[in-house]
Amino acid sequence: MTNQTNLKKEGRTVKDLVTTGIFTALFFIFTIIGGLPFAPNPVLIFYMPIGSALLCGPIFLLLVAKVPKRWTVTTLGIIVGLIFFATGMHWAMDLGYIVMGFIADLVGGMKKYRSVKMNVLSYVLFCLGATGTYIVFFLNPAGWISTMVKNGTEQSYIDAMTASASDWMLAVILLGTAAAAIVSGWIGATLLKKQFERAGITP
Amino acid sequence: MKRTLQQRFLDPRTKLFLLLMVILSTSMAPSLSYELCLVALIAVTGILCGRIYESLLAAAVYGAFYWLTILVLGVMHGGLQTTMIAFLGLVHKVYPCGMMAGIIIYTTKVTEFMSAMCRIYAPKKLVIPFAVMLRYLPAVREDWCFIKDAMRLRNVSPNLAGLIFHPAVVTMECVYVPLMMSASKTADELSMAAVTRGIENPASRTCLTQLQFRLSDVLTAVCFFVWFAVGRFW
Repeated sequence: MTNQTNLKKEGRTVKDLVTTGIFTALFFIFTIIGGLPFAPNPVLIFYMPIGSALLCGPIFLLLVAKVPKRWTVTTLGIIVGLIFFATGMHWAMDLGYIVMGFIADLVGGMKKYRSVKMNVLSYVLFCLGATGTYIVFFLNPAGWISTMVKNGTEQSYIDAMTASASDWMLAVILLGTAAAAIVSGWIGATLLKKQFERAGITP
Repeated sequence: MKRTLQQRFLDPRTKLFLLLMVILSTSMAPSLSYELCLVALIAVTGILCGRIYESLLAAAVYGAFYWLTILVLGVMHGGLQTTMIAFLGLVHKVYPCGMMAGIIIYTTKVTEFMSAMCRIYAPKKLVIPFAVMLRYLPAVREDWCFIKDAMRLRNVSPNLAGLIFHPAVVTMECVYVPLMMSASKTADELSMAAVTRGIENPASRTCLTQLQFRLSDVLTAVCFFVWFAVGRFW
């Protein structure tokens, strides 16, 4: 508790940075595991953020509980975004992670990262970063398709994607991701309370 | 002697530049054969960096994918072809970048990476989590194997069937709790080790390996840049 009073003066210590790094690794792995079943199929690809959002809640919440300081979530967003960029994903997804990481950081920071509800909300916002690609897609389908084809995605993949995409799809993706994130966040909060607080893992 | 050669063939900063070039080349690749040559180029770089066996293996696997793609394009029709092409398209997009990134991770020591990042004035608060993350990724797999064994001992099946037949929450707890516990413990231990070794030292980092651009860096960088330009303008 003594840490809490001089949070602003101290900034992030090396321990915080290392913890952030380790939980980023876990977060990244669970994002991949959640998204992998959806990615190769052009009809299911739209639901990829939902799959990813469903798995990462406990990790996100424990990270925030362990390092309740400004810039932690932003760092998470930047690193995940950079790695997705390095694996050749669409730029909007990478940018989405970075921007939403920053916004999620602000939202969680309003209650000093102590309120469970605010942290879950922050997690929901963070997950919406992954939908960046699809938001760009629905804003300007023609431009999106030409970029993706130029980027080397096969034409038939795009055709199948556009065939299965209709106007209500964006709402489904956004709401679905948010719902999955809330469920995951709720499970995470329960786990945190049941297991980690008792074990003294969280400060 | 061989060891020093391995470490110094490429500067970490050059490697990052190469990765950027590979990302750009792959994302704008005009044709399949272009990507095949790109993978061959990466394999040569990997061999020169001292990872002979892995580079050859990775190149061979890509060759198999290339052959499979041509087969799919020629033989299959209809929906099956679409699904296969969608899958293979993803493989072709990710494979070269992943291969390059893998070679970089295997051939760069953490200290070299950190001091190279210091040289290009990357913020330390971003570099430290990044380096830790890269180091921790393989450890997660190791942890996961232990957890799987432990789950089998307690009759919780660590796969999809277990998730369906057992109450899902139990299986989830059995996966998340040990993974996150061990992650927290590793974080504590690692940060203590890092502080002991003086990571908080405000003075600029030094490194046993000489970091400097040499002829091999320039030549490799030029090769990759030329190949990128070939894909873009020709």
